[in-house]
Amino acid sequence: MTTVIDRVRWPLLVLALVLALLLAVALGTISLAPAAVWNALLGRGDPAAITVVQVLRLPRAILAGLIGAGLGLSGAALQGTMRNPLAEPYLLGVSGGAAVGAVLAVALGVGVVFLPIAAFGGAVLAVAVTFFVAHAAGTRGDARILLMAGVVVGAFANSVIMLILGTAPSNAVRDAVWWMMGSVAAATWSQNAWLATYVILGGGALLLWARQIDVLALGDDTAAALGLAPEAAARRIYAAAALVAAATVAAAGLVGFVGLVVPHIVRGLGVRQHRPLLVGSALAGAALVILADLAARTLRPPSELPLGAVTAIVGVPFFLSRLRRLA
Amino acid sequence: MACRDARSGGSPRASGALELRDDFGQVVRLAAAPRRIVSLNPATTELLFALGAGDRVVGRTQYDLWPDSARLVPSIGAGMQPNLEAILGRHPDLVVMYASGSDRGAAERLTAAGVATAAFRIDRIADFARVTMLLGQMIGDSVRARTVVDSVTGTLERVRHATQSLPRPSVFLHAWEKPLMTLGGGSFISELVTVAGGRNIYDSLPAPSPVVTLEDVLRRNPDIILVSPIERKNMLQSDRWRALPAVRKGRVLAYDTNLVARPSVKLGEAAVSLAHLFHPGVLP
Repeated sequence: MTTVIDRVRWPLLVLALVLALLLAVALGTISLAPAAVWNALLGRGDPAAITVVQVLRLPRAILAGLIGAGLGLSGAALQGTMRNPLAEPYLLGVSGGAAVGAVLAVALGVGVVFLPIAAFGGAVLAVAVTFFVAHAAGTRGDARILLMAGVVVGAFANSVIMLILGTAPSNAVRDAVWWMMGSVAAATWSQNAWLATYVILGGGALLLWARQIDVLALGDDTAAALGLAPEAAARRIYAAAALVAAATVAAAGLVGFVGLVVPHIVRGLGVRQHRPLLVGSALAGAALVILADLAARTLRPPSELPLGAVTAIVGVPFFLSRLRRLA
Repeated sequence: MACRDARSGGSPRASGALELRDDFGQVVRLAAAPRRIVSLNPATTELLFALGAGDRVVGRTQYDLWPDSARLVPSIGAGMQPNLEAILGRHPDLVVMYASGSDRGAAERLTAAGVATAAFRIDRIADFARVTMLLGQMIGDSVRARTVVDSVTGTLERVRHATQSLPRPSVFLHAWEKPLMTLGGGSFISELVTVAGGRNIYDSLPAPSPVVTLEDVLRRNPDIILVSPIERKNMLQSDRWRALPAVRKGRVLAYDTNLVARPSVKLGEAAVSLAHLFHPGVLP
């Protein structure tokens, strides 16, 4: 039995992403005719337009897309593995750990060079601590325990951030606060290349394990009965999802609500199995963050709004409407 | 700013009651010229030293580093959300602070603790003249305050006069990289750019330090980019920044961040240094 939504689902998601990308390179404070944008994309015509499109808009849109895809993948994998619709990378200590690393780098005055490395290290450390806490609690991969351990690590990270910022000079506080609001304004091709590596490797691993996520989503007992070691599988998937999320946080700071909301959007399109859910979440997440960044840089010219605030403002009402439908 | 000096005459007084209204709108009462002053703003600290009251400054913030002798004054830490116990520990009879909305409560608590507290918003060149005169009255040396104001405004006028008939380059003021912040028309630095014969491309923005997009900077296409010496190197190597014709032409000028930093006694010198950058050879 196929419905209309079943037939249009994939064309819709791909179209949304393509459209978002086209809008993002076409629109900005400098107005360019559609033909000029197209020529600039192909490297032809007015050199000034080529600069605007290829140096300023395209790397930004690609970075936004990678961030969205990474967070969407990560959220979809975690929600399935944890059997919890609220699971998302930011709730599991990843964002908190990354923020501690970033804030520390900023406060020590090495922010410019080491911030992404510090953020990444902080996130990986937070995930390691989460595993350790869960292990100490006597379970290696119990989804609920991992979730709770992640929340506790996140809360601890928040208090560390407040301690650091409370004594940091005001310039460092400004840097850190803006970083925590998320931005893709400083996108470069080299940054995009390494983030793409993480998203492709991590996302590829998650796609490979998608069947295991399907089984885990049925419950640990069922999974064990089906011949899967649930704790080891959950740990693997958690680590890959956290790594992808950590890479996005290192590249663009905290872009909230994407990892939480995007899998719900895709499930709303009737996708249940995790392989298509992961792919769909990557597409929808990319489209969403590209459009959110377009809004962030064009809604209040010449100023720029914090990207994380825009995604959260879009995400909260959507999530509330989903809750109403579920309740 | 209504100044209610009962015996306004402007002559130096060793002692004398004074009442004035500060930028929080609070009445500041001084029974006599203060002898122990804590200053929580680099500009007012520098001004107090210029007015000859440096020996009465008994506390400053960690950022108040000018003039050099100010470094000898004990620091009480941060100026915003200041540590009130550290301030009271210096036993001041006057606290001078920046009138930031978040510090209104701190000013009220200091006043309640019996310490005269005056908060001034010094953002513009005009604020410098106004606050210098008020500080002069408070410390009992209005004549010296007038001399300082006249000397600075004289230099500013000289620079303005020397550059006013020259073509005005459009200037982008780079204040911060992440996020990309500039300085709007509400900042004295924007005013200094005008005095020095330039035009801030964001002078119509009222916010003191607005966040802008690089694409909008490119749209306004500045002739000159004014930047700190450290950022200059990064900018010249950045592919993103090289999208701007000014960067490709090397019109990225580093300014003296120690000089062009405070709306204080160095305003005149700061204007001269900017004029040298915009119009080399015009001023001696």
